[in-house]
Amino acid sequence: MKLLYHIGRYFLLLAKVFKRPEKHKIFFSNFLKEVNDLGINSLGIIFIISIFMGAVITLQTAYNIESPLVPDYLVGLTARDSMILEFSSTIVGLILAGKVGSNIASEIGAMRVTEQIDALEIMGINSASFLILPKITATMFINPFLNIISIFVGIIGGYLAVLLTGAVSAEQYIEGLHFAFIPFYITYSLIKTFIFAFIITSVSAYHGYYVVGGSLEVGKASTRAVVYSSILILLFNVILTQMLLA
Amino acid sequence: MIEIENVYKSFGKHQVLKGITTVFEQGKTNLTIGQSGSGKSVLLKSIIGLHEIDEGTISYDGRVFKDLSVKEKKKLRSEIGMVFQGGALFDSATVLENVIFPLKMFTKMSKAQMIKRAEFCLDRVNLEGVNNKYPSETSGGMQKRTAIARAIALNPKYLFCDEPNSGLDPRTSIVIDQLIREITIEFNMTTVVNTHDMNSVMEIGDTINYIHEGNLWWRGSSKEIFNSENKEVNDFVFATELMKKIKNISK
Repeated sequence: MKLLYHIGRYFLLLAKVFKRPEKHKIFFSNFLKEVNDLGINSLGIIFIISIFMGAVITLQTAYNIESPLVPDYLVGLTARDSMILEFSSTIVGLILAGKVGSNIASEIGAMRVTEQIDALEIMGINSASFLILPKITATMFINPFLNIISIFVGIIGGYLAVLLTGAVSAEQYIEGLHFAFIPFYITYSLIKTFIFAFIITSVSAYHGYYVVGGSLEVGKASTRAVVYSSILILLFNVILTQMLLA
Repeated sequence: MIEIENVYKSFGKHQVLKGITTVFEQGKTNLTIGQSGSGKSVLLKSIIGLHEIDEGTISYDGRVFKDLSVKEKKKLRSEIGMVFQGGALFDSATVLENVIFPLKMFTKMSKAQMIKRAEFCLDRVNLEGVNNKYPSETSGGMQKRTAIARAIALNPKYLFCDEPNSGLDPRTSIVIDQLIREITIEFNMTTVVNTHDMNSVMEIGDTINYIHEGNLWWRGSSKEIFNSENKEVNDFVFATELMKKIKNISK
């Protein structure tokens, strides 16, 4: 019953969020601010994670495929497809659920407990739309770019790994990157990122928006936001994979 | 003028407001006092529409709140200024930006006009030299003044203050009280103040509503409350030794 209550309240909040913004100029300036805060400011962590993920995938593949029947260029192919299909969308999504999700839940939660949201409501402003819509649209806009960057950085990480360790030759790694490339995989990855961005932002905002209490509850809401966003990302990962790749 | 008629409000099975009827007059500082948990905050939040009431009517100069359309409610809200207990200033905005915010949302003023108006409001509450500071960089008294400046930015007809003196030293409290009274008279607003502060009751209470266990227990002026025979009112107002001594001296 409690689950149904939360699902119902979540969709009611979304209905409030997707109402026309009060002033388009202010919405656009908030949107740009969120693109910077939630997107551009995540570039560092995405860069670090992606480069190491790419390197590790490459090395693990190289050291586990020792059969002479399997060509070495498969290392590059595996690194490329792993980054595109799973790591740059799902794993980066989970990392962003931790970074961006907790940020959103604690920011909105703190505004709730310090009555800043009440202040907006009393002024006649749709607080849900004013606070949450720029965040949702900003992450849905910027995260696909972050995904592409993550794919490239991950592949470069793999390249650096083979250069430094000599696990396979750089030429074979690059040959693998070009081998049997399916462009739809990029579309699949971008669709996933787009939907994960919505999940991270809306679920985290929901947990922050309905905080009751003080700073302790804001912390708990932030944790819940990360946990539920992560679970939903994993669930939708399965659903979307079945829908798009089957 | 705000008229409250037979207002009931419950949370689950707990009835907080039990048929309150009163009037908050224009150009006067109307105080609502009562013990913690008496229902005065719920009454205030019900009046401004943050809580939906179960029964009764709340009308602003004849406009019954619950009968208003969304558009009319929005217009009415632009006529309301609110000073929250903690200030409720936007942390990520400077003092000046906080005051400019309602102007940005609800007027078509140019940037220069908005700054001019915000500076006028900040001047009016005697705040100088903090325009570019963030709320966290200012004192509690300054935050309250900023909150008042933001509340009056749109020239409201109705001003609500929830515990405006909480957390302030007695001297700053008096300054804030006087400020609320002055702007109430100056802008001819209907001001409603929730308070625990007995200095406020004596200094600025044109009309005082004493709420007890969700009922309007007593209503009168600051002069009348001093001589009230009502037991609950006396227990509340003259709870401290100082107040008891003052009452005895005045006798």
